[in-house]
Amino acid sequence: MHRLWSELRFRLRALFARSAMERELDAELRDHLERETEKLVRSGLSRAEAERRARASFGAVGGIKDDARDARGLVWLETAVQDIRYALRGLRTRQSFAVGIIAALGLGVGANAAMFGIVDRLLFRPPAFLRNADLVHRVYQHRRSELEVSTDRNFAFPVYLHVQQLTRSFDRVAAFRTIPRAVGEGQGTREVQVTMASAEYFDLFDVRPVLGRFFDASDVRGPDGAPVVVLGHAYWQTEFGGRTDVIGEQIRVDRTLCTIIGVAPEGFVGVSDQGVPALYMPITTYAFAMRGAQYRSFYGWSWLEMVARRRPEVSVGAAQADLTEAFRQSWRLRDASEPGWGSVDDTQPRGELGPIQLNRGPLAGPEAMVALWVSGVGVIVLLVACANVANLLLTRAISRQREIAVRLALGVSRGRLVRQLLTENLVLAVLGGALGVALGHWGAMTLGALFLPDDVPAEVMTDGRTLVVAAVATLAAAIVTGLAPAIQAGRTDLATTFRTGVREGTTPRSRLRTALLVFQAALSVVLLIGAGLFVRSLHNVRSYRLGYDVEPVLFAWANPRGTELTPAERVAVVERMLETARAVPGVTHAALAASVPFFSIEGRGLEVPGVDSVSRRGHFILQAASPDYFATLGTRIVRGRAFDDRDAANAPPVVVVSEGMARALWPGRDPLGQCIRILYGPAGSGDGSPCTTVIGVAEEARVRSLADPRDFVYYVPLAQYPDPPDGQVFARVTGDPASRMADLRRALQDIMPGAAYVKVFRLSQLVDPNLRAWKFGATVFVAFGGLALALAAIGLYSLIAYNVAQRRHELGVRMALGASAGQVMRLVIVRGVWLAGTGVAIGVAIAFLAAPQLASALFRATPRDPVVFGTVALLLIAVAVVASLVPALRASRVAPHTALRTD
Amino acid sequence: MSDRLDLPQGTLDLLILKALSLQPMHGWAISERLHQVSRATLQVPQGSLYPALHRLERKGWIKSRWGESDNNRKAKYYELTRAGRAQLAAETEAWERLTAAVSLVLDMG
Repeated sequence: MHRLWSELRFRLRALFARSAMERELDAELRDHLERETEKLVRSGLSRAEAERRARASFGAVGGIKDDARDARGLVWLETAVQDIRYALRGLRTRQSFAVGIIAALGLGVGANAAMFGIVDRLLFRPPAFLRNADLVHRVYQHRRSELEVSTDRNFAFPVYLHVQQLTRSFDRVAAFRTIPRAVGEGQGTREVQVTMASAEYFDLFDVRPVLGRFFDASDVRGPDGAPVVVLGHAYWQTEFGGRTDVIGEQIRVDRTLCTIIGVAPEGFVGVSDQGVPALYMPITTYAFAMRGAQYRSFYGWSWLEMVARRRPEVSVGAAQADLTEAFRQSWRLRDASEPGWGSVDDTQPRGELGPIQLNRGPLAGPEAMVALWVSGVGVIVLLVACANVANLLLTRAISRQREIAVRLALGVSRGRLVRQLLTENLVLAVLGGALGVALGHWGAMTLGALFLPDDVPAEVMTDGRTLVVAAVATLAAAIVTGLAPAIQAGRTDLATTFRTGVREGTTPRSRLRTALLVFQAALSVVLLIGAGLFVRSLHNVRSYRLGYDVEPVLFAWANPRGTELTPAERVAVVERMLETARAVPGVTHAALAASVPFFSIEGRGLEVPGVDSVSRRGHFILQAASPDYFATLGTRIVRGRAFDDRDAANAPPVVVVSEGMARALWPGRDPLGQCIRILYGPAGSGDGSPCTTVIGVAEEARVRSLADPRDFVYYVPLAQYPDPPDGQVFARVTGDPASRMADLRRALQDIMPGAAYVKVFRLSQLVDPNLRAWKFGATVFVAFGGLALALAAIGLYSLIAYNVAQRRHELGVRMALGASAGQVMRLVIVRGVWLAGTGVAIGVAIAFLAAPQLASALFRATPRDPVVFGTVALLLIAVAVVASLVPALRASRVAPHTALRTD
Repeated sequence: MSDRLDLPQGTLDLLILKALSLQPMHGWAISERLHQVSRATLQVPQGSLYPALHRLERKGWIKSRWGESDNNRKAKYYELTRAGRAQLAAETEAWERLTAAVSLVLDMG
């Protein structure tokens, strides 16, 4: 006890009365030396000789002080504080060096933090509040059709009921769907995300409402469900000002007037990937409002997603087998009530339990794959940054060689010296890491906003996981980059350093620096080649002819919002919409259409005389449109003619097919005049359908996916299309499409009946989300590749400049012996280009081997594109020449006599 | 030089404690005392005395105070604490047992 107290007191004093103790120590040692000197003087030595001997027999004062301090036990805290002070002082005097390192580390760490934020969000993080995330699965169904095996995650309501009733492996099976709904009254109506959920949905989460309650089985039960909603926290804050008395108030969702029964807590978004839900309502309430009681047994409306929580004692395999059995049974029931979709043996439905994160499941989007690639890129950028920092530190270590030697000579222990150098690196790293977190935050926000599906980008980037990653990256970088110079410093050989000056004994370091530089150049080449491939990909996507014009086309969509209209009234409304749209200034063409690219696609069964199993030959997409459609969208007719006003309801039915469809159905034959039967009625009633004659061939159009070559579109006149039209209008405009949008919306809204309202999109708004992955890849690769190139260029410049400084003497000799300025310059530049060239060769080799892996993330770009490879190689060599030019000029101006005289 | 011995590891502490058990002393006096008493046989590097003193103080075996020495000079005096005395006794005993044992072994042939 006593010892502990004494130790504590001593240490506290050591810590807080530091300078007093330091003075005491000085005084004590001085006292000793004086006494020893006096003793020696008394024995007959001269004063000066006595002082010298006293010091000699005492040993190095600095080292002894250090040891005494260590013995006092202020080892780590005090020396750390001291080292940090020392480091900061040192950095202040070498600002550009410090800024260079902090910037390099900041960029490296920032790139990784940003990428981790996004990859974590896409792939790893389970939804907030989810209980036992590894037991909770998304439910998928694989099914065989004539064309392919397709995978689905949307199910009809009866299938959900079957899975719930027929499986034993799950303790909860929840169904949900998040879609935009019209919420509010009159002018205040807004479209907001609404999650329709079954009662089990909330049971999956460890979550309590902040107000009121969630809906439960009694609200969801029955065909019609209870008209109740739970508010999302953010919506409650913005629309209700966070009032605590909202419970019991009413809010209109579509046509249904609902009572607010609760408020979800902050940060809760459910399983949703479709943005932050503003409201939660029972699935049954919504389904009943949409389809009446028939939704419970109707298989044609696949709208629900399913999430199941496996019982802990059941393995994934067993649960999947159970699920598959339920799907098969469900299919038999379907086949019995709605025949015509194939037997169980034909379709072989199979269940899959995927991870809760959509992007790790079988239906992952291209974003996830590209994000993974890009996070690899982040690591490479960090490596390049580390190489750069290590290089700067080595340069610094070399220029500090004398300082270090002097301090060693003064008796500073090597351990202490290494510790001090490491501290300096750590200070740099912490500053760099802080910068990195800031950059990463900003980067993740920017990238997330641009490229993540409309989701919850903002708050996820500041969380602990990303910070931990940033901290680990920083620390790793500090240790990796700091160790080599520190070890070198610890090894400094005093005698050599003092004897020869700095010029000698630096070769091994120089070799290490060269290796680091080549490594940097190689990685930059790899990144830039990746960037080049993605840019080409993006360019290919952008310049890819979709089969229609995107930029000048607007799309207006009328949401009837429950306004009941007879088919005749609907026809009248859409006709009036078409007339109104045409009359808007700046609109050159307008057309009605049943299918909208990447928005809603129609399809019907097809029979073609003389062709078996039509559906095995492709996906046939039906477009029913008014005569101006081709002019409006800019889709070109390749052969024959487009339909026009002649092709009225009572005229002979006609169709325009796409080139690919013509080739698939009538290979080697003239498609014009051929007959197809479009099965507008129930399946299997084809014989009664009239022959629809092919009158034209249109260019290929991509309306469902960018790349699937088996998507074929065929076009029929809207007048001959039996279903009542939807309020979907395309308009081709001149001038700035964005400014026409408001005009078009206003004009159409004026003629809307009842509560119906109009939304206007640019066609590019529908198409662009499909380009997101490539844009993301191209942007990030280019940004990171540029970053790496800049870092490598700076590294090359500093190495060459340093070499020139080191070789001043030699260059002076050369010039004294008659070398011209040009020859000296060439000498320097050749060295720079040789270094870069080695890096390029290595980088190109790596890229050549790795590129094919990238193929699946590219769009119609060859992974080993020689143009990209060649451009990048030339670019790097050019950068090397430029980076060597300044030092080369300096070298050519070396005046022989000064160089020889000064060193 | 060959008749001087380097101190075995860890014995410096024991010698300091022993020296201080007679009377409080300042650092230089301790080094002189060790030098004289051992008849200049023991080689105590003067500098290494101070880290040892500070270590012993931290352990609470000795304590220090500034005091007047001869001709009004200030010096830092060290003296043994009660814990230091106990430690000295324990270490002395351990040392004697060690040397006795070593002698026995050396005497066996």
